[in-house]
Amino acid sequence: MMTNPALAVEDLAVLHGEQALVRDISFEIPARGVFTLLGESGSGKSLLAQAIMGNLPSTLRCEGRVAIGGEKTPAGDQSSRHRGWGRRLALLPQEPWLALDPTMMVRAQVAETYAVVANEPRSRARMLADRALASLGLSDAAHKYPFMLSGGMAQRVAFLATHAAGAPLMIIDEPTKGLDADRRGEVLELLRSAQAQGMSLLCITHDIWLARALGGRLAVMLEGAMIEQGEAAGVLAAPRHDYTRRLLAADPGSWPAWTAPAVAPDAHPIVQVDQVGKSYGRQALFSGIDAHIKAGEIVAVSGPSGSGKTTFGNIVLGLARPDSGSVQRAAGLALTAFQKIQQDPGAAFAPRIRLRQSLLDLVKLHRLDWGVLDALLARMRLAPALLDRLPHQVSGGELQRIALARVLLMKPALIFADEPTSRLDPVTQQDVFALLQEHLRDARCALLLVTHDADIVDRVAGRRIDLGR
Amino acid sequence: MTTAYSPSSDLVLDEAPRRLGRAQRAGIALLVVIALFALFGPWLVGIDPARQQLERFLEAPSLAHPLGFDQLGRSMLARLAHGARLSLSLAAISVLSAAIPGTLLGLLAAWRGGWLERVLAAFADAVLALPGLLLVLLLTAFTPGGFWPLYVGISLALWVEYFRVVRAASRILLASPHVEAARLLGFGPVHIVRRHLLPELLPRLFTLMRFGFAGAVLAMSALGFVGVGLQPPTPELGVMMIELLPYYGEAPWLIGAPVLLLFLTLLGLLLLAPEREAA
Repeated sequence: MMTNPALAVEDLAVLHGEQALVRDISFEIPARGVFTLLGESGSGKSLLAQAIMGNLPSTLRCEGRVAIGGEKTPAGDQSSRHRGWGRRLALLPQEPWLALDPTMMVRAQVAETYAVVANEPRSRARMLADRALASLGLSDAAHKYPFMLSGGMAQRVAFLATHAAGAPLMIIDEPTKGLDADRRGEVLELLRSAQAQGMSLLCITHDIWLARALGGRLAVMLEGAMIEQGEAAGVLAAPRHDYTRRLLAADPGSWPAWTAPAVAPDAHPIVQVDQVGKSYGRQALFSGIDAHIKAGEIVAVSGPSGSGKTTFGNIVLGLARPDSGSVQRAAGLALTAFQKIQQDPGAAFAPRIRLRQSLLDLVKLHRLDWGVLDALLARMRLAPALLDRLPHQVSGGELQRIALARVLLMKPALIFADEPTSRLDPVTQQDVFALLQEHLRDARCALLLVTHDADIVDRVAGRRIDLGR
Repeated sequence: MTTAYSPSSDLVLDEAPRRLGRAQRAGIALLVVIALFALFGPWLVGIDPARQQLERFLEAPSLAHPLGFDQLGRSMLARLAHGARLSLSLAAISVLSAAIPGTLLGLLAAWRGGWLERVLAAFADAVLALPGLLLVLLLTAFTPGGFWPLYVGISLALWVEYFRVVRAASRILLASPHVEAARLLGFGPVHIVRRHLLPELLPRLFTLMRFGFAGAVLAMSALGFVGVGLQPPTPELGVMMIELLPYYGEAPWLIGAPVLLLFLTLLGLLLLAPEREAA
C-alpha cells in the first residue's frame, strides 16, 4: 500500500462543450502527504475538486485519469468514484456549518456516518462518535444542535462526520473561509492532527497563511491551468510565475502601509456618536461607545465575533436605533449620503432584476447622469456587458465593484463597509481596497470599516473603535 | 486606465435557459383548447341551451349533434359550452378576487408590522378556523341560487392563503440585504415592491392560483351537485351532473361530458406545475 500514492491525477481536463474550463492537470499526493491548491475564485480549483470527487454537473465533461489509492479510473467515469465516498475519499465542504443537518444533534450526526457508511451497529456507532468527539474536545457539544456551535466547532464536527468511515484521502475546500483570524489556528491544528493520523489531504484555499503553515506540496492555479507546482516553502519563498508573485503580494500582510488621507483637526464631524449602547433581549452588545467620524477618515470597528460590529454600523447609518445615547449626523446631509457596502455582494442586488435595470432605476430616481456611472464602471475595470446579467451570473469580485460604483454614484459622506472583502480572493480584495482608497481620497468621504483581518486594519485604518471592552 | 476585464467565474454554469417541460406544454395546450371552447363554443354551437325539443329527449350523438340531447331535449353540446364558460369564468373571478386583496393585505401587513399585522393575522387565522365550504353554505343559505354569494364565499375562503404566503415571504425579503441597500439608496415602497418583492413572490402566487383555480372549479361543481349552488336550468357543470345522474344507464355520454370536461381542466392545471415547484 505504501508504494501507491494516495491520489494521482493524470492529464485531467474539464470541458463545457469545446471550451476547456480546467486543463492539463497532473499531480500526485503521496500517502500521508499534503497538497495545496492555491488560486483565486474562478480559477477552476473547485471544479478540479469536483472532478476528482466525481461530482461534476451533468453539463460538463471530464477527460484524463484519476487514481485513488492505486485504483485507476478514467476521469469521465464519475460513478465508479461515488462508491468510495466516505470510505476512500471524503470532502470537507466550504462553510461546513451550512453542511450540517440543522435538525440533528451533533452526536447523532457523527454516529450516522459510523452506522451508515462504515456499517457499524448503532450502539457501537454511538460509542465511536462519543470517543471521536472527545478526541477533539467536543464532548460538551454532543447534545447540541449545529446552530448552537461556533464556526470552528462546527468545522470540527463536520470533519468528524466526513471522516468517520475512515477515508484515507480528504479534500478540504476553503477551510478558513468565513472564520475569524483567531480561528484559523484551530483549523490548522485540525488538519495537522488529521495528517498525523495517516490521512492525505488535498487542500483548496486562497489563504496564503494556511498554505505556508501546512507545508507539503503546492500548486498555483490560474484560468483553469496549473501554472506553478513545487514544494510549498520553495514556491512561496521564490515564486517563478508572475501571477504567483502578484498573489503573494496581495496578501494583506504584505500590503504597503496606507497613506491615510490627512484629516484637518478642526474638520466638522460627519457623525457624532455619544455614549451609544445596544442590547438584544437580556444580552448587552456594547454600551457607552463614543465616536466622532470626520470627513475623509478611515475608522475600523473591531471586537470579537458577536460583539455587535454590524449593529454599531447600522446605528451610525440610521438603520437601527440605539437603546441609549445619541447619534447626530451633520446638518445638511441627505439621507442617501450614508451608504453601506455589504459582506456578500450577491445579496445586495435585487436577485431577479438585471443589473442594468437596477442601476437605471437608481439613475432615474435621483435624476443622475448615466455617463458618471459609466465612467465609474470603467475605472473599476468592469465591462459594460456585465450589466446585462443577473446578479448571480457575475463573480463576487465584479459584483462588489459594481456595488462600490453604485454607492459612489450617490456621492456619500460616509460609507459603512461590513466585511467588504471577506468573500473575495486576495487579488480581488486588494483591488477593491485600492479602488476604495482612491475614491475616498477624491470624494473626501469617511469610511467605517468592519473586518476580521487584523492585517487589513493595520494597513488601512487611521484609528479604531473597540467594541469588545 | 487598463482595459483588461477580469474573467467571470460562472460564465457557463448558470446560463441554463429556462425551457418549458413537456408536461407543461401539454398542460398549456389543454387549457388553451378548453378556454377556446368556453369562449367561442356557445357562439359556434349557436343553439339556445334552454331550448327544449321534447320529442328528441335522450337522443344519441350524431354528426349534427355530437353529444346528443339531454332528458329535456336540450342540445348537450350547447349546454356544455355554456356550462364551461360559466364555471371557468366564475372560478377565474373568484381566484383573482381572492389573490389580489390577499396579496395586497399580506404586503401591507409585512411592511407595516406592529398592531396592524397582528390584527390582520388574527383575522386570517379566524377565517382559517372556519371550514371554507361551511362559509359558502352559510352565505348561500341567505340567498339561495344566486351567483354572488357563491363568488363572495369562495373568495372569502381563499384569500387567507395568499395573505399568509405573501406575508411570510415578504417579511423575510424585507429584512434582506438587498432591500436594505435599496432603502439606503433612497428607493420608496413602490420600487421595492416592484423590483424586490414581486419578482420573488409571483412564482409562488402563480402556484397558489393554479391550485386555487382547480379548487374553485371543484367547489362550484360540488356545491351545484349538492344543490346549494346555481339552480337548474342554469347550465353549470355541477348542476348538469346532478341533473343527468339518473340517466347514466340509458345515456352515459350525457353525464360523461361534464365530468370529462372538469377532469381535463384540472389535469391541464396540474400539468402546468414546473418541475421544481416554487411554493
